[in-house]
Amino acid sequence: MSADSTLTGGALSTRGVIHDRGYRRYDGPRLGRVQIVRALLWHSFRSALGIGRGPKAKIIPVIAFVAICLPAVINAVAVARGGAQVVGYESYLFPLRVIVLTVFVAVQAPELVSRDLRSRVLPLYFSRPMRRGDYPLAKYLAFTAACLLLIDLPLLLLYLGSIASSKSNGIWPNTRGLLAGLAIGLMWAVLVAAIGLAIASLSGRRAYATGAVAIFFFLTLILSQIIQQVAQRPQLAQRGPAGPIITPQTTLPAGQRLAGLISPFNTLEGITKWFAGYGQAFQHGSGQVPDPGSYAPAYIVMFVVLLAVSFAILAARYRKADVA
Amino acid sequence: MSLRQARGNPTTKVRMGPWSVIQNRIASAGPEGPCERSGEVKATVTGQVILNDPNFMKDTGTGPQGGLTDPGGTGGTLAGDAGGSVIETQLLTKRYPGDVTALDGLTVSVAPGITGLIGANGAGKSTLIKILLGLLKPTKGRATVFAIDSEKNAERIRTLIGYMPEHDCLPPDVTATEFVTHMGRMSGLPPTAAKERAAESLRHVGLHEERYRLVGTYSTGMKQRVKLAQALVGDPRLLLLDEPTNGLDPAGRGAMLDLISRIGTEFGISVVVASHLLGEIERICDHVVAIEAGRLLRADTITSFTGASRMLRVEVDEGLQALADELARRGLGPRRQQRFVLVPLVSDATYDAVRDVVADLRAPLSRLELSRHSVEELFRGSDGADAAGQPDYATTEVSDVR
Repeated sequence: MSADSTLTGGALSTRGVIHDRGYRRYDGPRLGRVQIVRALLWHSFRSALGIGRGPKAKIIPVIAFVAICLPAVINAVAVARGGAQVVGYESYLFPLRVIVLTVFVAVQAPELVSRDLRSRVLPLYFSRPMRRGDYPLAKYLAFTAACLLLIDLPLLLLYLGSIASSKSNGIWPNTRGLLAGLAIGLMWAVLVAAIGLAIASLSGRRAYATGAVAIFFFLTLILSQIIQQVAQRPQLAQRGPAGPIITPQTTLPAGQRLAGLISPFNTLEGITKWFAGYGQAFQHGSGQVPDPGSYAPAYIVMFVVLLAVSFAILAARYRKADVA
Repeated sequence: MSLRQARGNPTTKVRMGPWSVIQNRIASAGPEGPCERSGEVKATVTGQVILNDPNFMKDTGTGPQGGLTDPGGTGGTLAGDAGGSVIETQLLTKRYPGDVTALDGLTVSVAPGITGLIGANGAGKSTLIKILLGLLKPTKGRATVFAIDSEKNAERIRTLIGYMPEHDCLPPDVTATEFVTHMGRMSGLPPTAAKERAAESLRHVGLHEERYRLVGTYSTGMKQRVKLAQALVGDPRLLLLDEPTNGLDPAGRGAMLDLISRIGTEFGISVVVASHLLGEIERICDHVVAIEAGRLLRADTITSFTGASRMLRVEVDEGLQALADELARRGLGPRRQQRFVLVPLVSDATYDAVRDVVADLRAPLSRLELSRHSVEELFRGSDGADAAGQPDYATTEVSDVR
C-alpha cells in the first residue's frame, strides 16, 4: 500500500485500457513442502517483528527493542568511562526482560496465530501442499526466532560495548559471558514463544488472546514472588525486622526455593542460577529467585513440562478437523 | 431474421466481456434487459426462498459453454493424465463421531469440464470436498483426484487443486495483492512468480486498482473474487468451489457465474461447483452430480437432466385459445395452460413457426420464452410444480431421477 503503487493503479484506471491477454499457464518451478514451510516461517517471522504490515503493527516491536537495548547502550557508556559493567550477560536485567518479553509475546503471538483463526484463513493453508503440523511448526520456529532476536540482540550490544572500551576486563571473559548468555537466551526464547503461541492459539479474538497471555505471565510471576515472601517470613521474624537479611543458601527454606516453579520466568531464572552455581562465566543474576540448589532438577522438569504442554496444546489445536 | 436471433442473446456477449463491461451491461440492461426476471421468487430444494438469477432458464444451451454439446472438449489436455475422469470415488463413506453419516457409499466419477455438485445443506458436499483435499479421512471407500489417491498422496493432490471455501476466509488487514501473493507462495510458487501470478489472478477475477486496498474495505462481491483469485493463483488443474455465490446479490451472482464459466471453458481448468442453488448449476455446468443424504442421487450431463423437457412458452394478451388451436393445426403439439401455451422445442425452426402463427393471427404477443424443467424439480415430489407451472412434467422427471 505504498504511495507509488496507488499511483500506478490510478494511472492504469485513467487510461482505461484493459488488456485481456487471456489465461496463462504457469510452467515454472514449483517449490516443495519444506520450502513452502520455510516461506511461511519467513513470512511469520517478519510479521512477528511488524514488518510487512501497516505502521501500527510496528509500534510494539519497536518499543520492545528500544526498551531492551537501552541498558546495553548505557552500559557501553559506563564501561567507556571506566566504570564496572552494570549489566550481566546471563539474565541481562531480569525485571526489564520479563516486562518487555511479556508485552512483546502478549501482543505479537496473537498476531501470528489468532489473526489466522479469526479470519478463518487456515483452510486455505491446509488445502495447500503442507501437512497439518507444518503450520504450527513454522509459526513456532518463526516466533522463537523473533523472541531470540529480542533477547539476544541487547546481549550482543552489551558485548560490543564492553570490548570496544580499552577499560573493559578483557575480550575472553566477555566472550565466555556472551556465549553463556546467548545460550540462556535461547532457552528463554524456546519456552516463552511456546507458551505464548499455545495460549494465543486458544482464542481467535485478538484482545482475549493478548489479555490471556499477559495475565498468565504476570499472574504466575506475582504468585511466585508472593509465595517466596510467605516462605521467607518466619526467618524474618527470627532475625528481626531491621537490616538486610543475608541468608546463607543452605538454610533457605524449601518453599522459597520451589516458589520459582510457579512462574515460567522464575523457572528460567532458577535454571540460570543453578547453572551459575557451577560455571565460572556467570555473574550472579539480578532476578528475585534464589538458587534452587538441590531442587534444580524440579526446575528442569518444570521447563520440560511447560514446553511439552505448550506443544501438545498447539498440536491438538491444529489437528482438529473443524479448523479447516 | 429469425426469432431466435432476435432474442439477441445478451448473455453470450456478457459472458465474453471483461468484468467491468459485464457490470455495465447488467446495470444498463435495466428492467427489460437480462434482469427482467430477477424479481421472481423461486423456492429451492432446501425450502429456502431465493431471488432468481438474471438470465435464469433463458440461456442454458445458448451460452458459450461448448461443454454442453461437447462435454469433454475443453478438458482435452486433462484427459491424458486423468484417465478420462478428474475425480473418482468408490463407495466413499464418512461417519462422524456420534453416528452422523455424512457420506454413505458414494460412488461417482467426475469428467473434465464444469461439474455441479448439488445437494441440500448437509447432503455431504463439503465433506466430499474435504476428503478430496485430504483434510478428512474417509471411514470407508476411496477417492482419487487425477488418479491420485486422496488418502495416500494428499499433498500431491493439493498441488493440483485450488480450493475456495464456503465461508469468509480473508484477513481484513492486508491488501488483496499481498494476500494472494502470500497464498501463491504457500502453493509453492517462487517469490517473483507468486507476485506475477497474484496480479494476474486478481486481474482475471476483475480486481484492478482495488487490489491495493485493504481487504477489510471490500464489498462481499469483491471478497468472493479475492477468494477465487487465491484459489487460481497456483495454476491448479482443478478448482473446488464451495458455494461461490454465497451472499451475492443477483447481479454479483451472475457475474461470478460468468467468471466460473470462463475459467472452465477459456482457461481449461476443471471446476467443481458445490451449490444448493440449482439455477446456478444449471446455468454454467456441463455435468451435474446430485447427492442427497450422502448418497448419489444422479450423475449426468446437464442436457440429459433438462434437455428432454425444453419448451417454448408463448403468452398473448388475448386470443390464447385461438393461438393454441392454430398451433395444433400446424402440428406443433401445443399444450394449453391457464395463461399461456407451451410448445415443445424440437429445433430452431420451432421459433420461426411460432413467430409465423403469432404474426398470422395478429395476436398481441406479450412473452416468448424458453421454458423447461429446472433441475430443481428433480428434487421435488410430484407436488413440485415450479413457477412456470408444468406439474405434469415434474412427476415423470422425478421418477427418472430416482
